[in-house]
Amino acid sequence: MPEPLLEVRDLKVHFPTEDGLVKAVDGVSFTLQPGETLGVVGESGSGKSVTFLTVMGLVTTDQAVIEGEVLFRGQDLLKLPKDEMRNIRGSKISMIFQDPMTSLHPFYKVGYQIAEAIRTHQQVSKHEAHDQAVEMLRKVGIPKPEERASQYPHEFSGGMRQRAMIGMALSLNPDMLVADEPTTALDVTVQAQILDLIDRLKAEFNASVVVITHDLGVVAEHCDDIQVMYAGKIVEFGNRRDIYYGPHHPYTWGLLGSISRLDSTSKERLQPIKGLPPSLIFVPPGCAFHPRCPYAFDRCRTDVPELLPVDGHHASACHLSLADKERIFQEEVMVRR
Amino acid sequence: MGRYIVRRLLWVVFVLFVITLITFLIFFVMPPTDPAINFAGRQPTTELVAEVRHQFGLDKPLVVQIGLFYKRIFFGDEYGWPGMGFSFVTRSALKPIILGRLSVTMQLALGAAMMWVLLGIPTGILSALRPRSIFDRLAMGFALIGVSAPVFFLGPLFLYLFWYKLRLAPGSGYYSIGQYGLGTWASHFIMPWIVLALLYAAFYARMTRANLIETMGQDYIRTARAKGLPERRVVFKHGLRASLTPVVTMFGLDLGALLGGAFITETVFNLPGIGAYAIKSVASGDLYAILDVTIIAGFFITFANLVVDVVYAFLDPRVRYS
Amino acid sequence: MGCATRWTQGREDELGGEEVGQDEAWIHESTGFDKGRMKERGEVVTTKRTAKLLALVAVLAVLATACGGEGEGGESETPSVEVTQGGTYRTSAEDFGFTGAFDPTGEYLGSAWGLYTSLLLRNLVTYKHVGGVEGDDIVPDIAESWETSADGLTWTFHLKSGVEWGPPLNRDVTSADVEYAFERINAKSLAAQYGYYYTGVIEGMTGQEKAIKPVSGIETPDDSTIIFHLVAPTGDLLYRLAMPATAPMPKEVAGCFKRAGEYGRYVMSSGPYMIKGQDELDVSSCDTLEPISGFDPTKYIVFVRNPNYDPATDESREANVDGVVITINTNTEDIYNKVLAGELDGTGYPAGEPPAPILRQYLTDPELEDKLKIDSGDRTWYIFMNLLVPPFDDIHVRKAVNFVIDKAALQKAWGGPSHGEIATSIEPPTVLATTAEYDPYATPNHEGDVQAAMDEMKQSKYDADGDGVCDADVCDGVLMINRNYPPFSDMSPVIQDNLAQIGINIKVRELDSSTAYTTDQTVENLIPIAANAGWGKDYADPSTFAVLFLESGISCTGQVNYSEVGMTQAQAEECNVIDAWNAATSNGQNPLPNVDEKFTECNAALGDARTTCWTEFDQYLMEEVVPWAPYLWATVLSTLSDSVTKYEFDQFAGTISYSRIAVDNGLDPNTVPVG
Repeated sequence: MPEPLLEVRDLKVHFPTEDGLVKAVDGVSFTLQPGETLGVVGESGSGKSVTFLTVMGLVTTDQAVIEGEVLFRGQDLLKLPKDEMRNIRGSKISMIFQDPMTSLHPFYKVGYQIAEAIRTHQQVSKHEAHDQAVEMLRKVGIPKPEERASQYPHEFSGGMRQRAMIGMALSLNPDMLVADEPTTALDVTVQAQILDLIDRLKAEFNASVVVITHDLGVVAEHCDDIQVMYAGKIVEFGNRRDIYYGPHHPYTWGLLGSISRLDSTSKERLQPIKGLPPSLIFVPPGCAFHPRCPYAFDRCRTDVPELLPVDGHHASACHLSLADKERIFQEEVMVRR
Repeated sequence: MGRYIVRRLLWVVFVLFVITLITFLIFFVMPPTDPAINFAGRQPTTELVAEVRHQFGLDKPLVVQIGLFYKRIFFGDEYGWPGMGFSFVTRSALKPIILGRLSVTMQLALGAAMMWVLLGIPTGILSALRPRSIFDRLAMGFALIGVSAPVFFLGPLFLYLFWYKLRLAPGSGYYSIGQYGLGTWASHFIMPWIVLALLYAAFYARMTRANLIETMGQDYIRTARAKGLPERRVVFKHGLRASLTPVVTMFGLDLGALLGGAFITETVFNLPGIGAYAIKSVASGDLYAILDVTIIAGFFITFANLVVDVVYAFLDPRVRYS
Repeated sequence: MGCATRWTQGREDELGGEEVGQDEAWIHESTGFDKGRMKERGEVVTTKRTAKLLALVAVLAVLATACGGEGEGGESETPSVEVTQGGTYRTSAEDFGFTGAFDPTGEYLGSAWGLYTSLLLRNLVTYKHVGGVEGDDIVPDIAESWETSADGLTWTFHLKSGVEWGPPLNRDVTSADVEYAFERINAKSLAAQYGYYYTGVIEGMTGQEKAIKPVSGIETPDDSTIIFHLVAPTGDLLYRLAMPATAPMPKEVAGCFKRAGEYGRYVMSSGPYMIKGQDELDVSSCDTLEPISGFDPTKYIVFVRNPNYDPATDESREANVDGVVITINTNTEDIYNKVLAGELDGTGYPAGEPPAPILRQYLTDPELEDKLKIDSGDRTWYIFMNLLVPPFDDIHVRKAVNFVIDKAALQKAWGGPSHGEIATSIEPPTVLATTAEYDPYATPNHEGDVQAAMDEMKQSKYDADGDGVCDADVCDGVLMINRNYPPFSDMSPVIQDNLAQIGINIKVRELDSSTAYTTDQTVENLIPIAANAGWGKDYADPSTFAVLFLESGISCTGQVNYSEVGMTQAQAEECNVIDAWNAATSNGQNPLPNVDEKFTECNAALGDARTTCWTEFDQYLMEEVVPWAPYLWATVLSTLSDSVTKYEFDQFAGTISYSRIAVDNGLDPNTVPVG
């Protein structure tokens, strides 16, 4: 196995607030291989975005207590001085965000905003940067990129804006692209186009991609590995097949039940998980998911389950026995699907 | 854009027309006092009042008076163009009085505006960048005092403290730069500028702070950071640009309103500005003076609105007029 | 008559040539005079005995100076000590407050009269520009001497030589200039606000002339002689000729201005001072005239010495200072602080009432004690009652009100004795000396006498059961007009409480000053009672108060006779109050006594008879008509800074006496900043 591009070890991000300590990320470890696409799934508040904002250096020690290691090509990003981290950000690791409507600055032209990213990291003239920006717009499939470059974000449609954001993110040929809910705010038809675009560009730019989503359906066709997060912890990890066809965690089952399919026409088929995500200040003892888990038993209320591998790759954090997991999945979850 | 501006300018003229019309009507329906009786002595005879009323042109039908007023504005009167009429109280042309006073008000307003911008906006920025810091708490504490301390309280207090007691500043009054030199001029303006500016500075500091904090939480700021931009550039290029736009708008409107007269500051510091004159004119029923001042104040406010709207279109590309 | 020939002559003429009773007239006036002087020292006289004693001293003093003062140009009071010369008197006011844009023909503001008579203009006769009753005496100004015909209808004045117009006119003041002033008063278009002192008095004067043209009753046989032909004998003519409107006017400048008030920016000086910049005027034609630069009617007026003034021709002005600078300051408190700080030399062109804390400072700090000057304002503040409106259509109710009012409390509301002496009559004693002794509604300590009030109320038709308390419906919710700011608003509860004791329940309506007056002035409003009004003299003759009760004082929208004394049926009909008039006159006895005849009689009288007549007139009003409950004779408060080395009050104008004060600040009026 080659050296991982990114290795996160026991990452903890705790925000002190007036109400108490918010344990947004509470001991997360994973690796990302070059060229791999990782899906990170979970409800809002599960810590999936904070994890990668921390990796990006956008959550800093000014705001939060951060522990653990974030090794990027073997170098611990958490220990880097701010300026060096800033140099990596945008050039080596890029990120695009959920809402393309608000992610671009409304007062600056789209081409300028891309060129600004380029000029931050490369010594090029304004003119060159602008040309490169136009080229990126062309690559992300924006028609008439020369004209579009001198337009303002509000003159773009939502999908176009997300394309522009992707163009901006990839303009410096990063090793890693973090796409945080890249399609959530978009029309269903546009969602697929954007995901396909990410796929295509990933190949072209030879980058690793992390897709953060609350919707397992989104990552279904595009990810190699998927990790499911709940209350600041990874509760299940596996490849695409593991997660879709043999998930071991009741929370993953719940997520599968609430997949929105591209071919679905009725919202009635969505079965959201009962209850609300837990408070990150007062995390339930034992398994954090137990108050919402229909299969919870005594041990779940006291002991925190570890993330234990089932086989070489697939792992889950649940006290149910393997047999129970397979039986329940077959008899109760699959039936409903 | 050109057509838009022309249309807006016509609108300004129309608004001024309506304002003066309303002022006229108010004056005749609810006169503050009868200027003709004021000018006819303690034991006014009916004939004398009638004569004065005739000389003041107040005996003509209302419609004719209004018509003559507009005619004088557009075509001038015996005192030149534009015809601003004469004062019933001083029985002399209003134009030199009003233009002189307008200039004083401008000196007051522009000086104060400069102060409050230089004081309020940087304070707001520093506070926003370090929320809950000691500086922020102190600055916002002062801002709260500033916002809630009215000029009619601060003005006399400043005069008493810094002039009467401590002799740190010269007393009240206006001393023109041309006649008395820069030093005398400025030293007499310092207190009124500060007193007037404090109120606005406090308001602008709070507004800048609130806007900048809100802007810094916007997604596009996160994008700017994610691009790896230096923090200074994130704040000053991306953050301020968006958060100061409403401040600029506010500034235009505030300045416009202030140019129409800052009567409390003018009265307290004895500055012969247009606001103090407006009050005096109303008290003495000096109709043409009231109308002239109304037009000027109305012009500054409506024109400031227009300027702000046009400037806004340049500042915020999402706004376009056609 | 060996001493003070000129002076004596003046007095004789004033009294119509009758020598009898002169001295007695003096004694009467001196009584009031000394009251005035006492107040000037800040010691308010409250006992009549002191006044009597001082009256004797004053008579001696006056007689002494009448002989000895000759050489010093009529100066009669100040011992001949060296007075500081030069410097500039700087003062401020919130507003000039002119009523006629400073055109002498129309201007009716006392403070403006002070500027005219002390500084700018010289009349045929003038005042001494001092405080107290002496300040109401007439002395020659540009008239050298004058004679009156035996019938009192022809007055001939001989002008002094050497009285010259200031630059750029540089010519002698002539009798034609005096006559021209009357032409202007007589022209309707120039709105002479007190033209009634001349119209119907001097032949040919109607005040209604369409053009400015010669007055038939005035002759100017040569440059130094002017003859007035009167319609009827007029005892106070000299007072009328001392009014600024009659001061000579130069036709070559004034003639360019044919509308009311316009000349106010071009007033040419015949006096010791001129408005700064007058000498720069181009008087070659009307078109080249520009407003005089030293006068900005919303900011300042600067007086500098008139180089053509010859002090030898003037016995009433000292002209100690080099100039007077009056600036407008919109902040009253600031004005007083600037006096305290020495940036102004004093108040005196009346600034608003000193703020209470500042006044307290002057009254309590021994160092400031002599910097506060309290002078008589020749002004009566009063509560008027309307003779047409129940319950005040009954004289006993009006008398009851006079008894029940706690005047001491009202004085307190005004800020105490420094603001005025308790009034016991309509005419202030400084105008009619006999009133100092007179109090028809005396109550213990002026605090009101409920029993006396009830005794009066019992006799009224509104107290059916005779318990001294009004029991009629008309006594409920009686409207009273007042001003909506202190001290007036502080009086409302006092009056309310007082009147409640005799069963009259007052409903107070408080308005701004101007609106309150306009409300009173409209007959149709039938205001039952009001506390907003006051009246000051025009000149020190009782007639200037008595005019308030004439039939002619009633006009439907601009009356001054608020009580409707002597209203005729025709007037009632014209003003739409005939129902009220019928009701008020229905019970047989005429409740609307007419005082016009008595007025005419008194106004024609001269000398001692005049004083007696006015005294009777005043008492008749107070006891038989009872239109008012007068409560305060106001004072004028001025504060001074250390730079003032001599203070004098001008009783005529009610302002500081600009031509007699002295300062040692050494300032040049040309360089004093005026902003």
